[in-house]
Amino acid sequence: MTRRKFIQGLIGAGAAIALGTWWLAKKASPRRFVRALQLKKYPGSLRSLRDVTKPSKWSG
Amino acid sequence: MKVQCELCPKRCVIKPGQSGECRVRINIDGVLRTVVYGFPCSIHIDPIEKKPLFHFLPGSKILSLATVGCNLHCRNCQNWEISQANPEDSQATFCPPAKLVELTEYHHCLSLAYTYTDPIVFYEYTYDTAKLARQANIRNVLVTAGYVNKEPWKQLLKYVDAANIDLKGISDDFYRQVCSGTLKPVQEALVEAAASGILLEVTNLIIPTLNDKPEQIRQLARWVKANLGSDTPLHFSGFFPRYKMRNLPPTSLNTLDMAREIAISEGLYYVYIGNILSDVGQNTYCPGCGGLLIERSGYTILQNRLKEGCCPDCGREIYGVWK
Repeated sequence: MTRRKFIQGLIGAGAAIALGTWWLAKKASPRRFVRALQLKKYPGSLRSLRDVTKPSKWSG
Repeated sequence: MKVQCELCPKRCVIKPGQSGECRVRINIDGVLRTVVYGFPCSIHIDPIEKKPLFHFLPGSKILSLATVGCNLHCRNCQNWEISQANPEDSQATFCPPAKLVELTEYHHCLSLAYTYTDPIVFYEYTYDTAKLARQANIRNVLVTAGYVNKEPWKQLLKYVDAANIDLKGISDDFYRQVCSGTLKPVQEALVEAAASGILLEVTNLIIPTLNDKPEQIRQLARWVKANLGSDTPLHFSGFFPRYKMRNLPPTSLNTLDMAREIAISEGLYYVYIGNILSDVGQNTYCPGCGGLLIERSGYTILQNRLKEGCCPDCGREIYGVWK
């Protein structure tokens, strides 16, 4: 092996390790929160607003 | 293309055409969309004591809303008909944020509650409504399990005035087995909420045989005191057999009384009992002189002796937002 080939191999391996580390770090770190976009049409059925003045039967 | 939802610690990776665990955040053509924005399944005016909030505008009415969906799947959920419903199978009303604010003003409510299911899953709807409500001098209240990531949580807290956050148990095993969640993110959300300066109350639902041991209650009370402060009101709520947990009996008044006594002995100032009628467990007493401050029966205020947020007998300032 010539000295040039050895250095080329060394640089290639170093670059591969650096790239792999960067990819792993990117994968592992949490991504920024992005808001979900609004869907215009409700997938269920729609009804008109009922009397809101009565307390709910739901807990909370 | 798959998308990843970064709203809650589940961090669902969602395939095109599918939804996350909450059922309401879906991937449409590689874009994350919320199907419940502007479509509440329930809108009602409740007494604020029902949330429960005992230290925030007592005796006031609060416009309360929910959409379907939840990011947790508690086996004992009391509202499972809406929290575990698919949007496709549900009925909703079209009510955009501006309309909600208008309704709140029309009915002379002082505040708006995002409740019943979990406002975290209808995050964008909650956020936009809360922002608009703040401009109209309407207070915003969250009733949540606090299963949310830090970044969206901090953004939302800017527009929140008060919250009741569940601390369902004090062990990770309990959260995994009963709620399909984990404990740590909830604790972090509680600490973040307390640090943000909002009025914070905590609820612990006591389920017979699962989280009703005196040692578990003591540990929970100690955690609340150490991390949120002695002033933080703690509600011990009674369980009723519901959803996938119909094999256990309701929580007895004795157990709830015992929990309350333990939490008080651990140094918490305001400890309450809920979901059951109790002689003293719903009243607020002064931590300074022990005098009765607010007497309640169910959701009704029988008397409120507070003077400018202070005890009329010893003058001690009482934690809360009173007007």
